[in-house]
Amino acid sequence: MLATTGDLASLARAVAGDLAQVEAMIPPAADPEAFEPRPSDLGKLKGAAVVVRVGLGFDHWLDKLLAMHGDATVNRGSSGYVDASFGLALLEVRGSSIDPANQDGHAHGLANPHYWLDPLNAEPITGGIAEAIIRRAPAMTENAIAGRDRFLGRLKARLVEWERLLAPYRGVPLVAYHNTWPYFARRFRLNIVDVIETRDGVSPSPARLARLAATMREQKVRVILHEPFEPEEASQLLARRTGATVVKIAPSVGNLPAAADYLALFDYNIDTLARALSAASN
Amino acid sequence: MFEEILAFAALPLAAAVVFTGIHTWFGLQVLRRNVVFADLALAQVSALGATVAVVVGHPVHSAAGYAYTLLFTAIGAALLTTTRALARSVQQEAFIGVLYVVATAATVLVVDRSPQGAEHVKRMLVGGILSVTADQVVTCVALYGAIGALHWLLRRPLLAAADNAAPSDPKTAFWDLVFYLSFGLVVTSSVTIAGVLLVFCFLIVPALIGTLFSARIATALVIGWIAGAIASVAGIFGSFLLDAPTGAVTVVAFALVLVAAGAVRAFATAPLPERGRNRRRGWRAAALAACMILALSGLWVIAVPAGDHPVVAAIEMVIGPERFMTPSERADYFEAAAVERRHKDDVERLYAIERQSRWQGGELTSDEVRRIGSMQQTLTEMGRGERFVVDYLRTRARERERWYIGLPLAACGLIGAAAIARRRKTRSASNPPAPDRPVR
Repeated sequence: MLATTGDLASLARAVAGDLAQVEAMIPPAADPEAFEPRPSDLGKLKGAAVVVRVGLGFDHWLDKLLAMHGDATVNRGSSGYVDASFGLALLEVRGSSIDPANQDGHAHGLANPHYWLDPLNAEPITGGIAEAIIRRAPAMTENAIAGRDRFLGRLKARLVEWERLLAPYRGVPLVAYHNTWPYFARRFRLNIVDVIETRDGVSPSPARLARLAATMREQKVRVILHEPFEPEEASQLLARRTGATVVKIAPSVGNLPAAADYLALFDYNIDTLARALSAASN
Repeated sequence: MFEEILAFAALPLAAAVVFTGIHTWFGLQVLRRNVVFADLALAQVSALGATVAVVVGHPVHSAAGYAYTLLFTAIGAALLTTTRALARSVQQEAFIGVLYVVATAATVLVVDRSPQGAEHVKRMLVGGILSVTADQVVTCVALYGAIGALHWLLRRPLLAAADNAAPSDPKTAFWDLVFYLSFGLVVTSSVTIAGVLLVFCFLIVPALIGTLFSARIATALVIGWIAGAIASVAGIFGSFLLDAPTGAVTVVAFALVLVAAGAVRAFATAPLPERGRNRRRGWRAAALAACMILALSGLWVIAVPAGDHPVVAAIEMVIGPERFMTPSERADYFEAAAVERRHKDDVERLYAIERQSRWQGGELTSDEVRRIGSMQQTLTEMGRGERFVVDYLRTRARERERWYIGLPLAACGLIGAAAIARRRKTRSASNPPAPDRPVR
């Protein structure tokens, strides 16, 4: 099995258990939105029985790879192809993939693609993965269903704990570097008032930073969420100007060593965030 | 707000002034030596050193990180010194170019082994002068002050080596090495703050402006400092006004100051007969270019009314794009534009509702979120439909407009251009060109 991101690979592993070999295409610590496939990825695609993708234009490069070398069974619409975004309740729908006026920093796509950061979305995502496994290897049906149930049971138990940890900080104003966290914010009732980077890869203008600093003071923003692979200068500058803290949390499995799998990703992010917010409120 | 802007601008401005101070001096020497791209090559070699350090496992700002960077810079300096001796029948610049691309390619290869490499390479190029810290500025002042003082003491042998036509002489090679080593130190530390693009500007543009006005190195240095300071202030405050990234705006500001200095040199401070000729030529070229732009836009709108027409669009800003529509078209046009705006507002309103619900009041159910999403999508698509109507009606209007606006534009432009060309011809006929004139 081949997944484009570490998150989907981790979910696929949770479903398939030891019965399948699961690989992720984007290297663990890299910026997924700046990824460019290399020749060895074509080789991985050749042997894959199931391909799981984020969709929504997040991993648009996969289309080209599939067209070039993919097995017919993993092409769009066939039995081994899983678009994990299918059927989810999407946020920040923008209507079309080619709108140049798109202002939220995602160059492609229909909606905000960071949906795996709502742990409840793991349920439909793993559902799609399990279905594809069953279609491709009917002998694994029971294993896949049992694996998924086990995983979801653990996830739901943890979710109670995660929500408890972040409950005191409901509505606390935050600023994020990249617009990564809407699904996360919705699940854990956080208030992300603004993002620093409005266009992917373009450093924010000083006027925007000055406005942001004013907003942050006015709304008493104490914490800036920052992805480990994004340039730190702007976040650090704002932190220095406003006295806020830059908190590095991982938007994807593997971005930080502590976020080794899907559950550990939330364990780490929520623990780190809760600690930073508690320190900031004292 | 103004205080906020000043607070953000103070440190970058200080850094820019410090950079201008040392880089103009180095730039003047670089121009004398004809090695304009040496700074790019050196910066890239030292970036390679920093990258190797990161990949091996040392943080960039650790002692080991600096050691790697310095080591690679020294190697780069030695290589640049040797290329001068090698370059007998070709320009030294060719070797420098090779060094630059090889160092860049090597950085890419090294970076390929580390996951966050692409980001690192991009940062080296663009830099982040906006987020420079007070500590960094103080370090730069100390380092550049020391190097500047050393260069002032050694200015005679350094300048002699720069002008020396016999580069294989070991004495010259030694001073070259001193020059490139100190140059490497300066470039390495400024590139980590301001990025390769901006450092190139600090280095070359003020020095270029200085040499435009004076062949004496001291005068050129002072003029370069003034020009560099003006460009830095314009770039940093301009980026606030334009709401655009500071590094890129500052580069453009340097270019504009260079153009302005060129104009001052050609039209105001050149020797008298030359000045008059330059002014006449400048006016004629500007008028000719303006006429040609008018003529071509007129012809273009006549040929392809559905294309992009910046000049016609500018005229429409004054007369209104609906001027050449029929009354019913005009009504449709305004309605479609209003509906498109309304749809956009509705999309934003839905977005605001969903955002608020993330933390305020009761949580929206998945189905409610889905409903909002599909409404947003529908509204966006409907808005696009209205946009299509607006564009279609505008094209229909332009099909008529081309005869009323395009034709006169083309006629004016062509007649103007012809008149300028004719005047030039009669002038040169009555006033034969200089070489033919008998020598008095």
